[in-house]
Amino acid sequence: MSKELKDIENNVMNQIHQGKIKIKPKLYFILGSILTFIGLVSTIITSIFMVGLIRFLFRTNYGWRAQYRLEQIFSEFPFWIILIAIIGLALGIWLISKYDFSYKINHYVLIVGFILAIIVAGFIIDEMGVNDILMRHNPMKNMMRNHILPGYR
Amino acid sequence: MDIYEKLSDEEIVEHIRKSDRELYSIIIKRYQEKLLRYANNLIKNEDKSRDAVQESFIKAFINLESFNTKKKFSSWIYRIVHNETLNIIKKYKLETPLLEDWDFADEENIEENFDKNDTKEKVEKCLKQLPLIYIEPLSLYYIDEKSHEEISDILKIPMGTVATRINRAKKIMKNICQKN
Repeated sequence: MSKELKDIENNVMNQIHQGKIKIKPKLYFILGSILTFIGLVSTIITSIFMVGLIRFLFRTNYGWRAQYRLEQIFSEFPFWIILIAIIGLALGIWLISKYDFSYKINHYVLIVGFILAIIVAGFIIDEMGVNDILMRHNPMKNMMRNHILPGYR
Repeated sequence: MDIYEKLSDEEIVEHIRKSDRELYSIIIKRYQEKLLRYANNLIKNEDKSRDAVQESFIKAFINLESFNTKKKFSSWIYRIVHNETLNIIKKYKLETPLLEDWDFADEENIEENFDKNDTKEKVEKCLKQLPLIYIEPLSLYYIDEKSHEEISDILKIPMGTVATRINRAKKIMKNICQKN
């Protein structure tokens, strides 16, 4: 065995013997996986809800015809919702790329697929009236009144 | 120790995780030479390759509980070395630039010219002149004799991309080797 190979083995084993390096407990990795999963689910739910909410706001506040009233939309529309939706999407894509299966799928397909799935799910949820139901009950009702659409009843 | 040397990597990892840390030396002995060669093919610097491999063994040991013993240990440890060497390449900007005068115009059957047995020598000779994205799969396929599936696991790219890169690398290499 060459000297450099012996050095690698000795250096690593010495650090193990001296306790300088230790195996991280299994719990560390389990917690990491759970948190990543929760993060992914949260970003998906947030993004879907925000997409549904954007559609809901357009429909209830301005009406589809009034889409042309750009000035009013720009002055009143809560654009931070779009920002949250975009951040949620970006975070979701980043988290999903951490999963082992993701590299087997083309990167662009993964991104486009994720965005499309969120938008479609947002539309479906809004069509089903889930957003309407949520908005009529607290804490969403309060949030709508105070932060998203002042004057919402 | 002799009894353990007959065990598979995955079985040894199970023993190390349970209590016998000393068995990690068997893992190091099994892989250090191959990993050093792989790292050196990528980095082209023996000292930095040695650092990368040593650091990888340390990281692998620390994260041993995250390894799934139902999967191949070799792919896992190669992946760690791969990441470590890429970090060093980025840090010291060691990447080989893409050559200006290579082309893919030649559509003849590359497989006929590149038989796997005699290509190992050719690859070792020409590898250093190739861009990094082609060195990675070519080195793993010809020198370390990994399957397309294992290369896909190590490089975290789809199997189709592995095949495409190997095929392109052969074409570029043929061009380079002929010029030399």
